[in-house]
Amino acid sequence: MTVRRRQALAGLAFAAPFLIGFGIFIAYPVAASGFYSFTDFNLFQAPDFVGVDNYTRMAGDERFWIALTNTLLLTVTGVPLSIVIAMAGAHLLNLPVRGQPLFRALVYLPSIVPVVVGGYLWRWMLNTEYGFINHFLSLVGIDGPGWLVEPEWTKPAIVLMSLWTVGGTMIIYLAALKDVPRDLYEAAAIDGANWWTRFRHITWPTLSPVTLFQVIVNLIAYLQIFTQPYLLAQTRLNNVGAGPGQSMLTYAMYLFQNAFSFLKMGYASAMAWVLFLITLAITIVILVSSRRWVHDGSR
Amino acid sequence: MHLTSAGRRRLGVAVGALAASALVLTGCSAAEPDGPEKITFSYLWGGAEADAIEAIIADFNASQDEVEVTGISSPDFQKQLTSLSASQGSFDISDHFGNAVGSWASKGIIAPLDDLLAANGVDPADFAPASIEQLSYDGKIYSLPIAVHTFQLLYNKTLLAEAGVEVPTTMDELADAIAALTKVEADGTITQLGLGDPSPSTTITTLGYAFGGDWDADGAPSPTNAANVEALQWYYDNVVAPVGSGKLAAFKSGVGEYMSPEDPFYTGKYAMVIDGEWRAVNIPNTAPDLDWGVTAIPAVSSALADSTQLTVSTLFIPSNSKHKEAAAKFLAYLVSDEGATAFSLALGNLPAKLSLVGSSAYDGIPQFSVWLDALASDNVHALSSAPYSAEYSTDLGLAFDEVLSGTSTPEAALQKVAGNSSNYATE
Repeated sequence: MTVRRRQALAGLAFAAPFLIGFGIFIAYPVAASGFYSFTDFNLFQAPDFVGVDNYTRMAGDERFWIALTNTLLLTVTGVPLSIVIAMAGAHLLNLPVRGQPLFRALVYLPSIVPVVVGGYLWRWMLNTEYGFINHFLSLVGIDGPGWLVEPEWTKPAIVLMSLWTVGGTMIIYLAALKDVPRDLYEAAAIDGANWWTRFRHITWPTLSPVTLFQVIVNLIAYLQIFTQPYLLAQTRLNNVGAGPGQSMLTYAMYLFQNAFSFLKMGYASAMAWVLFLITLAITIVILVSSRRWVHDGSR
Repeated sequence: MHLTSAGRRRLGVAVGALAASALVLTGCSAAEPDGPEKITFSYLWGGAEADAIEAIIADFNASQDEVEVTGISSPDFQKQLTSLSASQGSFDISDHFGNAVGSWASKGIIAPLDDLLAANGVDPADFAPASIEQLSYDGKIYSLPIAVHTFQLLYNKTLLAEAGVEVPTTMDELADAIAALTKVEADGTITQLGLGDPSPSTTITTLGYAFGGDWDADGAPSPTNAANVEALQWYYDNVVAPVGSGKLAAFKSGVGEYMSPEDPFYTGKYAMVIDGEWRAVNIPNTAPDLDWGVTAIPAVSSALADSTQLTVSTLFIPSNSKHKEAAAKFLAYLVSDEGATAFSLALGNLPAKLSLVGSSAYDGIPQFSVWLDALASDNVHALSSAPYSAEYSTDLGLAFDEVLSGTSTPEAALQKVAGNSSNYATE
């Protein structure tokens, strides 16, 4: 055996744990779901090949479109809000005030609360009559809405609950803020730049690579959003609810329902691939557009 | 890394020894040890109900020495499905609900019980016919009812007396009672609802039977049955329309948790509800001061008197169990008069066996007999258990939601369900 061949084998042996794990837990399931998406498969019996039926049926499936629309609405409101609030919060956390470490810990705290615990907590917080949210609104003379019973208020409720854990994004922004060269701010101040000019021409460009990362990560999270609406819409243990007028039915919830309640694994697999393609398309658009707005210091 | 030939030999010996050990251990685990045959009973119940189940298991284990049952509380449907899909499951007997039987039986994941029941002297004729009908598929019985549930009209005696309302016995009287017992403030805010709905789907499907409807005719979904549409329209006209769907939703969102001390029926926010027999056990514990009564749900004609819906908690043996005969012995014990009585008393459920309908064992539960006696009624109906049941009940729930929220008419909403049914799973 030549040295080169031995080295290649040794390299493969070292990489084998990853390669085997990747093959079994990622590559095979992805390929299998691609195959099942062209079949009628109920988990327990051999799949029947049905061609592109699962894909064409989506076009006429009213609940598919409701779920997709709900998900896209949550995404286009939730992602920008997450970015804006996280960035603004990071600036506040960066202020040299007394108790700064405590404030940083407090904003991150919700991120370590188990999401199911948070979900049940928010169900009560959003309760029309007894909830804290409406109680506080009433203190300033606002008659709070029926967050979980009025179709037009359920999505704000989901976004509100999701934003509760924005502390994780905020901390990443805070770390990025620390990397902005101070001399740039000093030079701008000498030139008479106000806070907005400094933000626009120094902070924003420097943070833009982090923003690109955050937009894509949040986008993927919102397109797959499941736990928050599932918990808020739940009316009975083990059942998938949809909220009033199906306003809380998200894509991932409907996919889950098809897979594990209706045992339509073929249709659910096809839905998973459509979601993957939608996510990929939006991500590509964002990456292409990022050439215009992401500041790359190496260029 | 470069191994010498001696090193390679040593490695080979080590791998061989490991493989041999694995084979021996596998052989050991497959062999049946001496003593009782061990089986696992995985059940969905938890908390105090699980404690009651464990007591029954202990009684069974003490009563004989052929089978030893280990109970596991696992209230997770997905875990149950995962085990059912494996070549060797993690349990030998478990429980579920009647509406899943058709779907699971059609996929071959639960075992037919006819021969096992005959071998253990269990006669299906001892059980409520509607329950056995729901648990059969393609002419075979795939599950046995461990407990059944019927639905009746509960009322708050104090609120009825205050409003001068007699207990309703006809649909017209029920409509009048709802109107008299619903209180709305000048700005439209509801403070008391005549008829509440702990589960809108159950309330409306049950009313469908009281109107002479049928949700599954000739083995297929029949949502547009004229009486079903009439029942849904009646519910909308008498419960929703007088107060407005928006105000009703706001009121319902502010009520307390079901069966807790803040349950709206216990706090007087709902004057009447249609609900199951578990209330008879829950009320004395949770709302001991509540002065309540229960009566049969009024029907539109005397021929439909005592109409109600039957739902079933079931026991099944998975096809992948290696201990079906032993599991059947335990199943036979659970459904015996002794086991079924202990079980139903512990959970506050109705026994599934007709022979227990007149049993004095339930005398201690207040007003239990109203639900119990309904088992003998000719107008007890159960939703069919078919491969499409999960989709059908989901679609019915969505249709009811559309009507109750005022976004669709009963006819249009149920017509949409009928349209969807062509895409339902067939096996």
